[in-house]
Amino acid sequence: MQAGRLLLRKAWSALLTIGFVLVLNFFLFRVLPGDPARAGIKDPRMTRAAQAAIHARFGLDKPVLNCLASLNPLRRGPCLVSPLQTQFFIYINNLLHGELGISFHTKIPVGELLRARLWNTAVLLSAGQTLAIVLGVAGGVLAAWQAHTRIDYAALLTSLVAWSMPTFWLGLILLFWGSRYAGLPIGGQLTPGLAGASTGAQLRDAARHLVLPTLAQTIIYLAEYLLIMRSTMLDVLAEDYILTAKAKGLSTFQVLKDHALRNAALPIITIVALNLGFTVAGAIQIEAVFSWPGLGQAIFESVARRDYPVLQGAFLLLAVSVIAANLLADLLYTWLDPRVHAAP
Amino acid sequence: MDIPSRLRLVFVCVLLGACTAAPTPQPLAVARIGYGGSPDTLNPGTAVLTEAYTMFALVYDSMYTYNLDGTYSLSLAESVDRSADGLSYTYKIRSGIKFHDGQPLTARDVAFTYNLNKAHAEYPYMNPYTAYMESITAPDDTTVLIRLNAAIPNIESQLVFQYVLPAHVWQAHADGAAAVEFENETLIGSGPFKLLEYKQGEFVRLGANKQHFSRPPKVDEVIFQTFSNPDALVQAISTGQVDMITELPNTAAEKLGQTQNVKVASAAPFAPAVSDIIFNQATSESCPSEAACNGNVALQDRQVRLALAHATNKQQLIDVVLLGKGTPGLTLIPNGLGMWFNDSLKDYEYDPAKANKILDDAGYLTYEGDIRCAAVDCVYGSPQMNFRMYWPSDSVDAPRMAELLAGMWQEIGVGLQPQAIDPDALTALCCPAFDFDIMLWGWGSDPDPNLLLNVMRTESIATGSSETGYSNARYDALYDQQVVELDQTKRKDLVWEMQRVVHEDVVYIIPYYDMQVQALRTDRFTGWIVDQPKLDLSDVSSLVNITPVK
Repeated sequence: MQAGRLLLRKAWSALLTIGFVLVLNFFLFRVLPGDPARAGIKDPRMTRAAQAAIHARFGLDKPVLNCLASLNPLRRGPCLVSPLQTQFFIYINNLLHGELGISFHTKIPVGELLRARLWNTAVLLSAGQTLAIVLGVAGGVLAAWQAHTRIDYAALLTSLVAWSMPTFWLGLILLFWGSRYAGLPIGGQLTPGLAGASTGAQLRDAARHLVLPTLAQTIIYLAEYLLIMRSTMLDVLAEDYILTAKAKGLSTFQVLKDHALRNAALPIITIVALNLGFTVAGAIQIEAVFSWPGLGQAIFESVARRDYPVLQGAFLLLAVSVIAANLLADLLYTWLDPRVHAAP
Repeated sequence: MDIPSRLRLVFVCVLLGACTAAPTPQPLAVARIGYGGSPDTLNPGTAVLTEAYTMFALVYDSMYTYNLDGTYSLSLAESVDRSADGLSYTYKIRSGIKFHDGQPLTARDVAFTYNLNKAHAEYPYMNPYTAYMESITAPDDTTVLIRLNAAIPNIESQLVFQYVLPAHVWQAHADGAAAVEFENETLIGSGPFKLLEYKQGEFVRLGANKQHFSRPPKVDEVIFQTFSNPDALVQAISTGQVDMITELPNTAAEKLGQTQNVKVASAAPFAPAVSDIIFNQATSESCPSEAACNGNVALQDRQVRLALAHATNKQQLIDVVLLGKGTPGLTLIPNGLGMWFNDSLKDYEYDPAKANKILDDAGYLTYEGDIRCAAVDCVYGSPQMNFRMYWPSDSVDAPRMAELLAGMWQEIGVGLQPQAIDPDALTALCCPAFDFDIMLWGWGSDPDPNLLLNVMRTESIATGSSETGYSNARYDALYDQQVVELDQTKRKDLVWEMQRVVHEDVVYIIPYYDMQVQALRTDRFTGWIVDQPKLDLSDVSSLVNITPVK
């Protein structure tokens, strides 16, 4: 009963946050200076008449809200227009009908574009995150168990170096190394023109494309997981019940698995859940280095082009992912640590 | 082996066809090109990015071809007749041309395309090309009649980029919003290449149209692959993952040129482009309504701009910023525009002492610290010659140029406050807001000089095309003359005179004309065209010419 109420409270709070994000998303991008009709392109052929026609096509000729023609520059507009003829209410109305609009830049429906990009990002992230979690947790446990030995120092040093490396720099180093010495592809997710090849050949090609970006991502995230796991594990291993477990004659593996790991897992679960939420935005830098057509790249390009529909859709997706990941972390926490129930 | 066994073997062989020596299939000749972008859309009406136009040039045909030597030649048309008054053009279209789907291309498709472009003001680039067209008709399958509302000297530049679309595909999408919403995913044209596969932001795969009437490609496929950073492009060509790259940082050119089987080529860019140092000269009289027009008043004085020109060491800018891959700039009409470029003008020589003297003689004698006062009658509170200098944040060259200019101009008592700004935000500050002092930017343009000349007209101040706020009645009059002058020699003289006027008024400083730098692999294909006045290895001329290395 108490768990049900907690769940309802969390879900309600998540919904409110999403509502707030919906409104913020609309105004956030319109506050930026610039004009989607020109999209940062300076060309004498782009006449004023053409810009006006594009504004009308994008619906930007309508006031942002009643009494407000535009946000940047801030201009007053007519107050007596029907709210349904303002950009804000058209946006809300479309969202309620499940329409995210058409990309100003590519003219592709935003839902379709985000779906494709999200899938690409998910493919990229799932391999990297899985490896990073498995290796990071295992490495952290090992380092803590062998605390203050050469193994621990080596793990600590490697993690700190990996964590300190700028992502794009590491990506570029891997790009040079991988293409020159390992013959690995460095751009995209499949070799163009392979559509007619067998499924096996396509899978092999996709796997080869994944190696370098996955490696980059694994190195960056592994360090974070390893350091947190090691630190939490060290705390847990100093507890009396670990001493008791050892005194009972349990094997090292049993002590670590059954007594230490489960108690040390809580912070890792939180970090993993939060990371998963945030990484939906796409590992922008990794995607940029390896020309990976993911969500991060889409957001980056859309900011430059003032592609409001894509930005609104992508930020909504990002917000929903982070909120959902938070909710998931909360629920997992509640399940793993019954003391959380007792919290008001 | 007994006889029945042999018979059985023969029988099985016949059934399977496996015992005859099957010819080994020839591997496809696929040229892979790495580039930094991707088409924004495949609809020629709404596309704005260069990458989209690269595809259109390969997949479609148009009335004229723009050649690498800067000339035009007839393409779809076999002849053209111009009326004596210059108001009507009759084109005879070649017979027997087919679209990629097998349907014939006729004069009706040409007329349909021009009428479509004319009908849609929301086609940002295509619609202005029809501005002078009063009517376009196709009385029969091989004749296109274009009537103009004014005689113009540059019909070629109005038609060369209007790609001929198949009416049977576009008819259903010609009206209203459908014309801009049509994604044109099949991209059916009649050009030397046809679309096989397209993934926005990833790659475009084109197959050869071996039946093309004038330029059948020798390769089987061309694939354009998107790389989102220049380092990856350089690495892709050095490791053989692509056969050509359309752009590379100048810093990588030397090293890449030493790589085995890689050649780096440079020449004037095929599409004319120019970099400029822009002075805000908008005055209270010329300032459009609602514009800020808050440029430093000193820049409205020609002597100040002249002094800055004399204090600018263009060769140093070329050596440091472009690593030598450029030529000194002179006017807004770049040398890539061939005959229209006025190379008779004498540039302002780099001479800081002379620049200082010009400012002293003009009366800018008061200093505050190392920086001159921006007013001749300097009083407390007068602005200083400490200019806000902006450039688009996506520019690779501008930060280095700003740093160098700051050093050069410091010698004559001029300070700079350099700042990179998001391109879209900079557009908002630029024109027609005139909310800056100096900008480092540039223009892309058509092969005809008209568009760039238009930028400096008084009329362009309010429309946002003018970035300087410059206004000169004589220049405007010359513009109006050249736009209707049908005699090419006379028009050239007018265009040259206009460049002389703006050069004397020091409306801009043109630091350099940068070269196009591209790289190709010599071990995969031969025939890349690198010996023409202009360079574009991804242009049709080059791509239909290349053959696989045996």
